[in-house]
Amino acid sequence: MRLPRLGALLGDTLVNLRRGGWGGLAAVGAIGVCSLILGCLWLLTVNLQAILSDWRAQFEVVVFLRDDITAEQRERLRRWLHAEAAVADVQYTSKEEALALFKREVRGQASLLEGLGENPLPASFQLRIREGHQTGTALRAFATALERLEGVEEVLYGREWVDQVGRLVSVLQVAGWAVGTILGGAAIFIVANTIRLAVYARAEEIEVLRLVGATRGYIRAPFILEGFFQGLLGGGVALLLLFAGYRFVVWRLGLAPPGLLGLGGGRFLEPLQVAGLLLTGAVLGGAGSLLSVRRFLKA
Amino acid sequence: MIQFFRVQKTFGREMEALRDVSLDIRKGEFVFLTGPSGAGKTTLLRLIFRDLLPTAGQILVAGRNVVRLPGREVPALRRMLGVIFQDCRLLMDRTVAENLHVVARALGTAEEEARRKIGYLLRQVGLLHRANQSPSSLSGGEQQRVAIARALMNDPLILLADEPTGNLDAELATDVIRLLRELNARGMTILLATHNAALVSDQAKRTVVLKAGRVVADNGA
Repeated sequence: MRLPRLGALLGDTLVNLRRGGWGGLAAVGAIGVCSLILGCLWLLTVNLQAILSDWRAQFEVVVFLRDDITAEQRERLRRWLHAEAAVADVQYTSKEEALALFKREVRGQASLLEGLGENPLPASFQLRIREGHQTGTALRAFATALERLEGVEEVLYGREWVDQVGRLVSVLQVAGWAVGTILGGAAIFIVANTIRLAVYARAEEIEVLRLVGATRGYIRAPFILEGFFQGLLGGGVALLLLFAGYRFVVWRLGLAPPGLLGLGGGRFLEPLQVAGLLLTGAVLGGAGSLLSVRRFLKA
Repeated sequence: MIQFFRVQKTFGREMEALRDVSLDIRKGEFVFLTGPSGAGKTTLLRLIFRDLLPTAGQILVAGRNVVRLPGREVPALRRMLGVIFQDCRLLMDRTVAENLHVVARALGTAEEEARRKIGYLLRQVGLLHRANQSPSSLSGGEQQRVAIARALMNDPLILLADEPTGNLDAELATDVIRLLRELNARGMTILLATHNAALVSDQAKRTVVLKAGRVVADNGA
């Protein structure tokens, strides 16, 4: 597209936006609300996924050993664990090391150690689990297999925690898509109707343009751009509200003050995700306009 | 230049607007299309600029088969035509010059060329002094002359005029017809639809008479 044409197109779009009045504001508002709700869901998912990811990096399965386990059984168990695909790393803690660790952890509360008598703490293997094997089902199957092995007393891992966080993230993702689809559809509908009013208001001009041989693209472009800008504006407003809300929640929860977009008490959307949210609004606006103008020009 | 071959146009199931219309309008002709209201004059014009498609028959305009023309080629067809209406269809929120400028921009005319052409055409229709006024401040005849100037912005081969004098008194109507005859004298093919029999009889031009969708008389066929 030549520069003068682009300049004229932008000029037309700005004039249309100004003429849009309350109808235009309604479109901006609809896209803003839609983007805000999508942004909230996205932010929540991003933060939960970050928590889950951090937690997964540190995730351990602890295999407690029976006190009467023989050295031979322990070595066999160690070899079995090393050969297991789900296991990334194996660390052994003897009974003595477990007691020393316990003493370090309860330092200052010496009374807890009184009357312990013989060391009651079991020896154990601490297993780092590869990320692909950290699902609730996989861990349950792995723990059941471990518990059947000779010399194993008990297998511990945060089963409920794994299941619950995993479920929550899945639900949020599904909910995000569902809510996003419904709200996106509603926003497109509102924008389409708002733009339709603008199209009707300019029906005579469109008629003249058709008759003199203007292409459909030429006639549609200012309307589509108008919807695009309305969407961008709605997305921008939503983003500001989302950031303000995020800072408020961080402040209320007394978390460390975060950077503008960075980490700290929580995690705001990455620059690319911010751009994605803005673009979502813009695309919703553009799609609504296209729908409306297409219907009009078909007639 | 314009050929109709057994063209039929039906709206809905029963409303037959045109029945078996065959017509041949040659390059450079000035043709009056006349008949009572509802005879099918406007439908015939709309078929030429592909605002409508016929129910049956074929239409050729400047060698192009309008009926089979793909949608993306319709703008190119319309760029060969100028269309004017009884109600002028001017944009009242723009000046006279801006009404013409809208067309120049749609056609991708360079700014300097557009200004030159707008000036030339407004001078041709005698309204250069009104260039910066709103069309609403003009008389009916002046508005129609602006509409004619606008229709000439794309240098059309054919000018289609649907009741261009319908809202004008006799004197203003004669002015508009004189302007159209001047254009015709320069080689432009003109098809003018009107139900004003007096206007037609004054001009001694080819006249096609439509009645209930049929051609009932054509003194130039």
